[in-house]
Amino acid sequence: MEIFITGYGVISSIGTNVEENLSSLMQERTAIKQGLNSYTSKFKVGEVALSNDALKSAFDLKTDGSRTALLGMVAAKEAFKNHSHFNALRTGLISGTSVGGMDISEVEYRKEMAGEKPNYKKYFHHPSGTTSEQIATEIGITGFVNTISTACSSAANAIMMGARLIQSGQLDRVVVGGTDCLTQFTIYGFRSLMIFDDEWCKPFDNSRKGLNLGEGAGFLVLESKKSLEITGKEVLAKLSGWSNASDAYHQTASSPDGDGAILSMKQALKQARLEPHEINYVNAHGTATPNNDLSESKAFINVFNGKVPPFSSTKSYTGHTLAASGGIESVFAILSIQNGLLFPNLNHTSPIEETGLIPIINIQKNIEVTHVLSNSFGFGGNNSTLIFSKI
Amino acid sequence: MYYIHKIASITHQDSFNQTDVNDSLVEIAEDTVLISPDYKKYVLPASLRRLSPILRMAVAAAKECQEAITIPVEAISVGTALGCLTDTEKFLNVINTVEGEILSPTAFIQSTHNTIAGLISLELKNHSYNMTHTQNNLSLEMALIDSMLCCDEGKEFVLLGVADEAIDFLNKLKPIVLPENSIVTSGTTFFALSKKKSTAEIGFLACNSIIKPKGVEVEIVLFLRELKIEINEIDRVYTNQNSLDFPKEIVVNYEAYSGLYFTANAFGVHMAHDWLIKTAKKYALIVNSGCNNSLGLILLKNDKAQN
Repeated sequence: MEIFITGYGVISSIGTNVEENLSSLMQERTAIKQGLNSYTSKFKVGEVALSNDALKSAFDLKTDGSRTALLGMVAAKEAFKNHSHFNALRTGLISGTSVGGMDISEVEYRKEMAGEKPNYKKYFHHPSGTTSEQIATEIGITGFVNTISTACSSAANAIMMGARLIQSGQLDRVVVGGTDCLTQFTIYGFRSLMIFDDEWCKPFDNSRKGLNLGEGAGFLVLESKKSLEITGKEVLAKLSGWSNASDAYHQTASSPDGDGAILSMKQALKQARLEPHEINYVNAHGTATPNNDLSESKAFINVFNGKVPPFSSTKSYTGHTLAASGGIESVFAILSIQNGLLFPNLNHTSPIEETGLIPIINIQKNIEVTHVLSNSFGFGGNNSTLIFSKI
Repeated sequence: MYYIHKIASITHQDSFNQTDVNDSLVEIAEDTVLISPDYKKYVLPASLRRLSPILRMAVAAAKECQEAITIPVEAISVGTALGCLTDTEKFLNVINTVEGEILSPTAFIQSTHNTIAGLISLELKNHSYNMTHTQNNLSLEMALIDSMLCCDEGKEFVLLGVADEAIDFLNKLKPIVLPENSIVTSGTTFFALSKKKSTAEIGFLACNSIIKPKGVEVEIVLFLRELKIEINEIDRVYTNQNSLDFPKEIVVNYEAYSGLYFTANAFGVHMAHDWLIKTAKKYALIVNSGCNNSLGLILLKNDKAQN
């Protein structure tokens, strides 16, 4: 069964909607810079410049929630705008998040440790599931609401889950994607892993040192054929392949040869009934950590039999937005197909010695882009691949 | 039908590897504790030291289920409402107390929800589909719906499980975020599921999860109508609800035995499963109603029922 994409929405440090994100991508303009908040100011991050109150008023958000929930509402609202509710259609929402409402909890927790009186009511916003319920409330979806939490592959897995529920006939239409805000918790967490780059991250570069964190959200609307007949929406692209596989190698590191990545890419290609050479562009996971980029590069060489298609990591623009990255990058994949663009990988100067692979260095225009493969890999070796195709 | 080939629960009851968990049930009280098996049988002692209670119990229950079937599972689907709270709180303490640049990453690494399913894949050396669902009190339902999809997509055996752990901090959230009289507990339940029957008798027939239901009774009627089952065909109801429109004598409050954790309805499923085997009755309904206006419905069926 075909899975049609009829809506998309994105907020990231490079823009608060699809148009602004596209414009930054085309102008090769990163938004990674020294952070604005007390806990981000020591690092280069891809931070959304609007405060929570500014987000609420700029996007007319009626539902309260954590920053994770608010960012999610902005992107989900954009994806679902001009969509109506139909009694004949079962519409659901699946969101991926890793931090949930931690941005609120960590503040209350710190207050209590410092001897101040905490407001326990605020912990209501903590559970990841609650962030999705709040997003669903904001766009008027009831019934099926789910949250996936598989670290950095969460949004990709939420998209996959939505497609499978449509395929099985349990849902007709589903809003899918992911959201994560920057928190002290994740910043200190990644710092403890010592995989930060103090300068701009350099995905797939021989001298890459590590990642820059980011925040944001990205959502799509998926519909079945039956749903399309009722909604009459214009189709932006198709979701033609998906897969998730487990590296089963280490709690955080990827296996040296990218075993899980190879499995997930191969299975997604098989499901899309595509040969490796039919992929026109790969939006890589490409976090710019020494471990990920080498392992993912080796997996590319394996899956594409040495003939690796043009590839890049757009995390050099947005930073690594963790659970949101699969959602944001899915929007970028669709933009690539719609506009015939291949987005460059910023800050690249020399290829990784072991592989010699060179990513896209400058924006490529007027390219016939039919199939885009997008990778998202999470902690615990959770590897996911999505394939988007031209309609 | 999605047959239950093995079921394993670690809870505040003596439930692990019992023939019938209902035999030794005691009502949960403030002083009851998690009854743990000897984890050294499941995890190497060197690794065990680093693992929080939720990870220990989930890995042990998962391994029991994998060992009970002969072939490796082809998917792992885990539900958790609040995830790895011990390590989350530990890391919150670390970032607010440790001075300087060097922080230990262990608590952070093990704080993410998917540490549970990820660790299981590592321990089982299993490269298949690996998913973590977290939807408050509907986390079991979500992981179950995914497991059913996996079975329908042709995967022979699926490892389905839930886990949630209590930390003292949760008691501070009563009565504002959590119900005042609740006893917060820990628990895990894992299942080996397959569409193949072989020696299994009980299976999941259907599952529905609803945010903002039209009403508990209305949704139960709709759920059963879709399955062409009459309300009076239900032999037993396991629920965390006080007032359900069923004869009192067939309603069991599972929370009185599980305590409060948001995936405790899985222990309700375990109780229902063992009861159906013992009595050879046909249907047990698990009604899970959350404080956040949500409802989960799960129907178990016994193929061997005499009626």
